[in-house]
Amino acid sequence: MSGLPTETDGGPALGRFADNLKRIPRRFLETMFRGGRPDSDRGRSNFVFQNVFLHLHSVRTHRWSLKWSTTWGLGMITLGSFLVTVVTGVLLMFYYKPYPDVAYQSIKDIHFVVPTGHFLRNIHRWAANIMVVGVLLHMARVFFTASYRKPREFNWVIGMLLLPVTLGLSFTGYLLPWDQLAYWAITIGANIAQSPREVTDALGITQQFDPGGLQKLILLGSDEVGEEALIRFYLLHVLILPLVLCFLVAVHFWRVRKDGGLARPADVDVRLPPPERRTFPVFTEAPAKTYSLAAVVKSRTPAVGNPPENTVPSMPHLFYAEAAVFMLTIFLCVLLSLFIDAPLKEIANPLVPENPAKAPWYFLGLQELVAHSAFMGGIGIPMITLLGLALIPYLDREKAGTGLWFGGSGGGRLVAMSAAYGLAAVLVVEAVAIRFGWLQQWWPGCPQLLIILLNPGTVLTVLYGIWSVWVVKRFDSTRAGALGLFACFMAGFIVLTVVGTWFRGPNWEFYWSPSQWPGH
Amino acid sequence: MSQEPKPSATPSRLDPELTARRDFLGTAATTLACGTCGFALLGSARLPKVAVLPSASKKFKVVLPPSLLPGQPFVPPGRSVAIFKDGDSVHAISTICTHLGCVVKPVESGFDCPCHGSRFAANGDVVRGPAPKALAWLSVSSAGGGAVLVDEGKVVPAGTKVSV
Amino acid sequence: MQANKHLLLWSSAGSLVVLVWAALTETIFAEWRQSQVHVAENLAGQPLDIQLRQIVVKELDATDRCISCHVGMAPGETGLPHDPVYGRHPAVVHEASEMGCTACHGGQGRATTRDDAHGNVAHWPEPMIPPRYFYAGCGSCHTHLEVPSQSSLEVGRRLFEQYDCLACHRIDGRGGTLRPGGAGGGEGPDISRIGTRGVPADWYDVHLRNRQLAAAGQPVGGLPWQVCFGEIPADHRGAIDAYLQSRIGAPGLLEAKALFHSLGCRGCHKENGVGGDDGPDLSFVGTKDPGQTDFRGVRGEKTVANWLAEHFRDPARVVPGSQMPALGLTEPQIELLTLYMLSLRRTAAPEALWPRDRVRALRLGGREFARDGATLYGTFCAACHGPAGEGRRYDPAAAPFPAIGNPDFLAVASDEFLVDTVTHGRPGRRMPAWGEKEGGLRPDEIREVVAFLRTLGGVRQEPDPKPRRWAKGDVAAGQRLFAASCASCHGPEGRGGEGLALRNPALLASATDTYLFETIRRGRRGTTMVAFGTGSPTQRALSPQEIEDLVTFLRTWEGKP
Repeated sequence: MSGLPTETDGGPALGRFADNLKRIPRRFLETMFRGGRPDSDRGRSNFVFQNVFLHLHSVRTHRWSLKWSTTWGLGMITLGSFLVTVVTGVLLMFYYKPYPDVAYQSIKDIHFVVPTGHFLRNIHRWAANIMVVGVLLHMARVFFTASYRKPREFNWVIGMLLLPVTLGLSFTGYLLPWDQLAYWAITIGANIAQSPREVTDALGITQQFDPGGLQKLILLGSDEVGEEALIRFYLLHVLILPLVLCFLVAVHFWRVRKDGGLARPADVDVRLPPPERRTFPVFTEAPAKTYSLAAVVKSRTPAVGNPPENTVPSMPHLFYAEAAVFMLTIFLCVLLSLFIDAPLKEIANPLVPENPAKAPWYFLGLQELVAHSAFMGGIGIPMITLLGLALIPYLDREKAGTGLWFGGSGGGRLVAMSAAYGLAAVLVVEAVAIRFGWLQQWWPGCPQLLIILLNPGTVLTVLYGIWSVWVVKRFDSTRAGALGLFACFMAGFIVLTVVGTWFRGPNWEFYWSPSQWPGH
Repeated sequence: MSQEPKPSATPSRLDPELTARRDFLGTAATTLACGTCGFALLGSARLPKVAVLPSASKKFKVVLPPSLLPGQPFVPPGRSVAIFKDGDSVHAISTICTHLGCVVKPVESGFDCPCHGSRFAANGDVVRGPAPKALAWLSVSSAGGGAVLVDEGKVVPAGTKVSV
Repeated sequence: MQANKHLLLWSSAGSLVVLVWAALTETIFAEWRQSQVHVAENLAGQPLDIQLRQIVVKELDATDRCISCHVGMAPGETGLPHDPVYGRHPAVVHEASEMGCTACHGGQGRATTRDDAHGNVAHWPEPMIPPRYFYAGCGSCHTHLEVPSQSSLEVGRRLFEQYDCLACHRIDGRGGTLRPGGAGGGEGPDISRIGTRGVPADWYDVHLRNRQLAAAGQPVGGLPWQVCFGEIPADHRGAIDAYLQSRIGAPGLLEAKALFHSLGCRGCHKENGVGGDDGPDLSFVGTKDPGQTDFRGVRGEKTVANWLAEHFRDPARVVPGSQMPALGLTEPQIELLTLYMLSLRRTAAPEALWPRDRVRALRLGGREFARDGATLYGTFCAACHGPAGEGRRYDPAAAPFPAIGNPDFLAVASDEFLVDTVTHGRPGRRMPAWGEKEGGLRPDEIREVVAFLRTLGGVRQEPDPKPRRWAKGDVAAGQRLFAASCASCHGPEGRGGEGLALRNPALLASATDTYLFETIRRGRRGTTMVAFGTGSPTQRALSPQEIEDLVTFLRTWEGKP
């Protein structure tokens, strides 16, 4: 023993050991949450700053960001529903077996004998739907408040990547139950992936260059929807796409922080009403300190230098807001799940197509276009739309109206006008296509390339483009053009989705209501 | 943005290096590292593309019912092909819609697709709807003993009839 | 922040309420739990574990949770005695705990709610077999139950009753009753399933011996029947044997199948690979998907069973454009046929699980129908050609089905001609080919049919010393004669009309010149085909030379359909 150093401060070692043992819980908490109980503003700030999960937030939040009308909580709804799908999805994986026919039986088991399985599957389905709606509305919100502008251009692009990943997650989940709905939606989806063949066939180069065939082959792992396709969709659904989504979401949030929180109008301090009496403290002076990262970054961080600041501590103000929206999302999910079951049709039968075979609702607008040209409706127009959306921040470099709905007064009227025009255009084009048919009927044997170039989808796109150009000239503003175009596309998307969902019956014929559908 | 700082005699460590020195070793190492990773990625990207199709054989033998009338389609159970017999001449038309792969249904006038309303004539030509091309004619040959051998995987030019 | 706090509070409270409600519905209010609680409360004595129960039969790919509600049918449970829902399963041929429930009853074994399990739901197209047709469930595995002809079944049943076997034996839920004066009853065993073990060959001898012993005062039981058992002639014993052999515990199904065969349905419909192809194959009609069925022409409930019954009442109303004639069936017949149709629900069970009848038919060359000429004719021919070969006409616009029992026809038609015609059919016409590859009849069976046909007409073929082809008449003259005398019925091109189509490669190939000549000369009495050799009030008599010209002309159509 003589060689070992000894400490005698706290009495005999055995006594100190007993003392240490007693203090374990308190010390454990102290080491977990450094800085003590967050009972002061400083303490709370420190708590946010030190916590790996919370430090994504800024320590202080602008009062503008906390206004309900700024975001309507749409981003949080999306994130919340994603978290719900992750939790419920992982639980469902305990019982789900990704193999044809067995998959269907396992869903039936989940429905009938797995404890909470029926309810959890409903929640999973509803959360996925809410996530899709949330993503779309969140995008619309960011667009209509012009929040994509400098310095947030790239984050908007990330958002444009998150949109197809979200839809992809939902769509890959569609196949897993292995019912008729799933089987035929995926057959159609896989053939849409193959639809570039429509173009290569028309050009006569499919033999040499067949990107469509390759896409389908990689998606299905075969030439038909079978066990390979199921395992691939499963892998995409539970691993690849969630990983990609998490990665992109991390970048998305990181950029929100780095780009200075939510976009605000330049005169935000004038626009904000005085704080509630209970809201305390409100920070009004600009932080004076310029911190330069590792002393090599030269510019000042964007959050700095916009006096007066008008912020409140994130904890608790922002956290209450976030928690409230999160719980609201959960409430929506469980409430819907209680009353409306996730669909499950007959077991997949590769010999008898569903009639009508309908994709998930958010793709029914595209399916409406696909009913004229598979390539244009399924790949061409979605790509054009996504690309156009992604480029918006680089085309609209104006500054006025950032952070305000529709860019301030007058914008609302423009959006309403554009939506009306978009509505009229899509209704006229749809009515013509439904009542009189399209090129194929008017001119049997018309070249396929012409149909690809000239179909209801492309006609609509061009009509909307013309409107947008007219608006740019009329209001002498690129922002006005973007607003007009976006409103048009939204009107088009909604009308096509509604027609595809409620007014299409067997053989994709138009029916005023499902009661008119002929029997089988 | 603040003003550009004036150039001073003593360079600040915040100033960018005026001229980058040639760093052959560094460039070569980085390039090679990127190249190697890229090559590995490219190689593994080949994995998802199947080398052989796992689907069941597309060739099958079938005996046509003797009462089959000319112009009347015969769809062997479990297959997506309609076989026609007119006297001795036999031909087979795929019942996979060329639009989005649904199974078309033989009807009086030819074939109807339930998914997006494509209609085809009895010889497979598109009559209406979004289908970009005619239904494929498939290879048929005599298998002896009144049976025919159909190859769903082999497309032949439209109008090819085989006598059995 | 106040608003957010309110939102947080109320959405959390709302979620909690929903979650609690969901938890309650899943646990306490679950249908199966309510059922088991009901049973547990009414069970005297032993406790009942309240839990989900299931029978898993790997071989049949069955997971049957029916016993979660029908708890009395679970292995080792008693349930509520005599309760149809919660009681025990009646004793049947198969042990329910080994076979599971859905193998026989259909429905959805995986479900744990009543509606889903019984199959009255959309998108789950396997409803239970309605209780009154439950014998149809046997058809899932017993695909080739052997049935005697309906007439012999009827004879056997009558004899069985006539000899008062029911006095001692119970069969299909009847008989074995107590007699007046306490004279006993039910002394003999229940023989409702005797066919599954085979009828003992020596039953008659045993009965007789017992009677003699009883008469001699030997103590063999001293039961009344032993004294009154009477003698039975050998042919009656044979009929009783056949009847008993068909008693396998599924009486309704056997009767239904015999009826199906007696009505000649297989003349148009294939089943298990044997039958005509004029109508749809019936091999899987019992698994018809209600979701894919058109109920627009159906009165009453929208079930497959009712669809089938309605279809038998009026085929064209239920299936527009159906060529199937309305058969004028009685309601009990419709009931039996519906049962039989529902029993056509063959599953792809592995061969190791096949029951004896299936192995016998599919591997050992056995038949599910009796193979005598009369039964075969009734099963395959009578629907079109009439029970006595008198010919039929269902559709006034179409050519009639020929009267093949006609003595004039049978006098000129050789056995080879008949066998050939039955084997190869009339391609392009409604007469299907009955050869093994097509209709599924074997050569010896076709010969049986032809032999039976001979008995219908009561005549043998007249000897024909001439070669198959001998007519060397004038084609042009024959053509003129045809246009003048034959075309009005047989069509200007010989493609048929009121009369048969003569321009038929199979007919011309198998008919000899003598056959054609004699047919024209004698006509067919009882049909519209007149005897051209003797003439009629509207038709002058043709000379033998003219008839030969006609035959020569008909020959020019050979090979030119």
